[in-house]
Amino acid sequence: MALKEVLLGPLYIARALATTFKHNTKPIVTIEYPERQKAVPPRERGKHILHRYADGLEKCVGCELCAIACPVGCIVVEAAENTPEHRVSPGERYAKRYEINLLRCIYCGFCEEACPYDAITMGPRYDLADDHPDKFIAVKEDLLEPLSASISDTAIPSGAPSAQPVARKW
Amino acid sequence: MAAVQTDQVTLTINGQSVTVPKGTLILDAAKKIGIDIPIFCSHPKMAPVAVCRMCLVEVEKLPKLQPACAVYVADGMVVKTTTEQVGKYQKDVLGFLLINHPLDCPICDKGGECPLQDQTYQYGPGASRFDFPKAHFDKSVPLSDKILLDRERCILCWRCTRFSEEISGERELALIQRGTNTIIGTFNDEPAQSNYQGNWTEICPVGALTSRQYRFISRPWDLDRTASICPACSMGCNIQIDARSNRIGRFQSRENVAVDDSWLCDRGRFSFPNFQRQGQERPRVRRNGSLEEVSYEEAIAFTADALKHAGGQVAGWASPADTNEELFLFSRLFREVLKSAHLDHRSGVVADAEPDDIALPIADIERCDQVVVLGGQGVIDAAPVLHLRLFKSERKGVKILKVGVTEGKRALDAIPAEAQAIGILATEADKQAAVDLQAKLAKKVKGSVRRLIVTTGPNGRGAKDLGILPHQGPGYASLNGRAGRGRLQWPGAGVKGLYVHESSPLHGFVPSDAESMWLSTLPLVVFHRFKASPLDEVAHVILPGHAFTEKYGTVTNMEGRVQRIRRGIDAEWVREDWRVLQQVANALGASWAYESVEEITGDLVRELPPYAAVNQEARVLWSEST
Amino acid sequence: MAIKPLVTKDFATENLVQLKVYERTGGYTGYKKALEMQPDALVEEVKKSGLRGRGGAGFPTGNKWSFLPKGVYPRYLVCNADESEPGTFKDRYLIEKSPHQVLEGILIASYAIGCNLAFIYIRGEYLPQHDALETAIAEAREAGYIGKNVFGKGYDIDVILHRGAGAYICGEETALLTSLEGYRGEPRLKPPFPAIKGLYGKPTVVNNVETVVNLPHIVNNGADWFKSIGTPTGAGTRVWCMSGHVNRPGNYEVENGTPIRELIEEHGGGVWKNRKLKAFQPGGASMMVLLPEHLDVGLDFDAIAKAGSLAGAGAMVVMDETTCMVDAARRYVKFFHHESCGKCTPCREGTFWMANIFDAMEAGEAKPADIDLLLEIGYGIDGRSFCPLGDASTWFPRSVIKFFRDEFQQHIAEKGCPFKKQPQEAVA
Repeated sequence: MALKEVLLGPLYIARALATTFKHNTKPIVTIEYPERQKAVPPRERGKHILHRYADGLEKCVGCELCAIACPVGCIVVEAAENTPEHRVSPGERYAKRYEINLLRCIYCGFCEEACPYDAITMGPRYDLADDHPDKFIAVKEDLLEPLSASISDTAIPSGAPSAQPVARKW
Repeated sequence: MAAVQTDQVTLTINGQSVTVPKGTLILDAAKKIGIDIPIFCSHPKMAPVAVCRMCLVEVEKLPKLQPACAVYVADGMVVKTTTEQVGKYQKDVLGFLLINHPLDCPICDKGGECPLQDQTYQYGPGASRFDFPKAHFDKSVPLSDKILLDRERCILCWRCTRFSEEISGERELALIQRGTNTIIGTFNDEPAQSNYQGNWTEICPVGALTSRQYRFISRPWDLDRTASICPACSMGCNIQIDARSNRIGRFQSRENVAVDDSWLCDRGRFSFPNFQRQGQERPRVRRNGSLEEVSYEEAIAFTADALKHAGGQVAGWASPADTNEELFLFSRLFREVLKSAHLDHRSGVVADAEPDDIALPIADIERCDQVVVLGGQGVIDAAPVLHLRLFKSERKGVKILKVGVTEGKRALDAIPAEAQAIGILATEADKQAAVDLQAKLAKKVKGSVRRLIVTTGPNGRGAKDLGILPHQGPGYASLNGRAGRGRLQWPGAGVKGLYVHESSPLHGFVPSDAESMWLSTLPLVVFHRFKASPLDEVAHVILPGHAFTEKYGTVTNMEGRVQRIRRGIDAEWVREDWRVLQQVANALGASWAYESVEEITGDLVRELPPYAAVNQEARVLWSEST
Repeated sequence: MAIKPLVTKDFATENLVQLKVYERTGGYTGYKKALEMQPDALVEEVKKSGLRGRGGAGFPTGNKWSFLPKGVYPRYLVCNADESEPGTFKDRYLIEKSPHQVLEGILIASYAIGCNLAFIYIRGEYLPQHDALETAIAEAREAGYIGKNVFGKGYDIDVILHRGAGAYICGEETALLTSLEGYRGEPRLKPPFPAIKGLYGKPTVVNNVETVVNLPHIVNNGADWFKSIGTPTGAGTRVWCMSGHVNRPGNYEVENGTPIRELIEEHGGGVWKNRKLKAFQPGGASMMVLLPEHLDVGLDFDAIAKAGSLAGAGAMVVMDETTCMVDAARRYVKFFHHESCGKCTPCREGTFWMANIFDAMEAGEAKPADIDLLLEIGYGIDGRSFCPLGDASTWFPRSVIKFFRDEFQQHIAEKGCPFKKQPQEAVA
């Protein structure tokens, strides 16, 4: 018995190596994250985005429906009144404070469903990592669409890496 | 056998039989057996108008649908509120109401507690079939510095105009234009002057009338609601403290038919900014001329030491906005521990308080046939919600005589000898005039003559009951010649120390010029208070305390009703006032061991048995006569 | 059948507006005769005569009077001269031609119900008629018909003339009373009915001008005579205001029960320009439309009701074959929307909605579903609104949809009014 195994041993090795070499020729499925990123599906539920109208005014009116719809209670909204001198959104009311605890968020998208003005949507950003829990409280400035459009967060992700991760100290 | 004639009628609603008194509306009869009929214009305190047509129900033998809010029950009536016809009609009328309603619920302050929203969900159509432009009106029109009117949201239920006409009698709001162009407004668009405007926001079934103070502050579901008592005057109106994130958003009324009849005045309703806490504060003690932050223990030890030093020559002033429990401890601290009778809660000279001052309960004003308001507007200003009670009584046929304090004779002449029940209302400053008039009237007329003296502060009556007075002990007991001095005499009475306790900036210790001079020379001023005041400048110890809205306890209103106040705002880093008072007393040698406010209340009731009324939130009856 | 004038029989007399002339034609004899009678007997007489209110609802006048609670004084009589139903102009005619006849009727009614103060609420736009009445009242006062202790009978009466401000709703009796008291013209909750709690909270009778003008004749000639005229359930005559596409529009007094055909074809001279009759409305703007097949219906409350419409205020609006029924309905709906007082939701919002749909229909922007939507809106208003104004706003459009649905469909299919393609003629 043992003799048979000794004789066939090199064959086994050759078969195993053949498998190894076969895979060498196949395309690579992993990517060099974070230098390279995978494209996300168009309806990816990542970090939230607060949108603006074309004229730059915020869509959010501070109605707090997202906050009440949120099953984990991770959204805090406080509203205030627009004045002619300080106009943030069209109409009477805007969100003075808009905060999401991204650690508590379960990315269910209910906030998006609840919003009567399509002001909040789930964005493509998923690479949320940081070194302190406090840094996961996203305030309005973190969530708001930048004034000039066509900035990464708002664009629908195409095949190319959509959101350049912020440079981090590793 | 002849049928027994009764004032009860029996009718059937949705197959359920219900017996109610004659003159009951179908709506109320249905409510009695738990059947909900949707309404907008109907209001229990106002005469039916049946303008919104939401409450139409089927009544057998009548061809048309009948408004449940305006049709009185009849014996054998058969009412159906859930038939297909009624259900379809309810969808129709909500559809009608919504075609010109802007549906801007996301930005509307009423959203979440809006009857139109709720009833649309419950009874309304799922979608609109109206695809034309809605009628547009002015939005957020300032009606006054307190109220904003959104004319688009208005569904013309007339509640506010009827309030203005039937409840406050001021007729400030009116309907202008007609048809779909109808709007609510004031005469010539002048700002509304009423002192009861806040009630408009509460009765409005949509977000048309909203408070400017509460504008966009919160959503109803975010509010923590606490039942309490209004801190503004001695009326003792029941309120609900609505707070968001531990900050007061608004005061809402809470119906107590015996006191406020579900209304509030603007002075009370909009008084809450006085009770907003700014930042955290620690006790302070003046050392070498400047105040230094210390711990409570240190401050209490310092206070006790200084009070001991001053001996029996310490005066105590407690605010008429303190709770009975605090006043009880305050009085014991002075009378038992410090052996001082220099106690007061008043700011000026007023006649002695007597149990007879509450002989006329507020609700009994309606049952008098003549009411003299001695001091006219002065009385109303002291307790504005009284006006609503007086106006309601007047509409019921009670004769209201508003006379100046010196015009008692006019009232005396005007009241006929055959009057059955006469009431006299006066402020405590004018009490003597009221007593004189009462004596004269009692001689002239056959019926009863009772008075109600309007006190100062939400617990002015309690302060008198508990003997925060230099010459009367708890329960109006005589001090047998061991009376102390009142506040006005303190500057010349050799007082060596002053302990001021206040929990409401509305009823604080405001020194007169003479008092300011005296205070600056006083060797000890202990200031136990909620909010900073000019008195901080001369204080040697500042002990932070809780505000009226931040604590548990009981207060006694002008008619002697003991009602509970509750903690609407949590300021737990501030030590409870009663605990501080107890620790000061214990440091001075007492051995009090109260663990909760309830224990103090219990002791208070043991000492003053009439205060057992606190258990029913009833009036304190000092004797059979009251 | 020839016209058998009753209330208009002396209208040809010149200067009938003057008291002397009116007296010469037998004026005020009814009043004098009434004053000889006991008020209760007078009420009985009117009850017996079968006189029904001419305002629109056709309620028996005598019964209305007898609803007044016994022994409650003061009580008031209000004469409703706020004629504002589109298509009616008879009160104007009756007042203009013979103000004293109106006044005499008011005085008889006042005496019968025992009121000492009568009001006439006249439409604001009727200024010449207001002046005529004012002169008549002054003349009557001078002659002692109005005043203290009339003819030594111990009866005091005064008449106050009040001009409305031009709101259609004030023709509704409770709205009229509210307006008369100086408030916004809005209907009141019933019950309590005006007979129990009316003007200033006192028992009040509200009678139409055309009702009261019958009274002198009933008193003069007796109830039995009056009952012999007209139909068993509709005694007397009625003045019909004929307008629209007829050759001779105007006021025609005919005996109740006269066929509509006679009124239109004989008195009105038939449809103008030799066109065919398309439809007609027997009761003014609010009433349902009737078709040529109904021409043989008698002019009587009950007969017209049986045919599917209502006699209402007695205005015959005739429409010829070139009339766009959708447009006609649109105009009426817009009228009701404009006149809705805004008190109750169904009428205020429903008329607004209907007006919008009709505008879209006329502009060719309507959808096929809108026809049924109109019916549903009508269903939501009719019988649900606070007062009959809301109900009435739906009757005409719904009857038009019933009979002329194809025209609506044509409007939608052709994206506009098919009648607009032909030149429209002005309606006289």
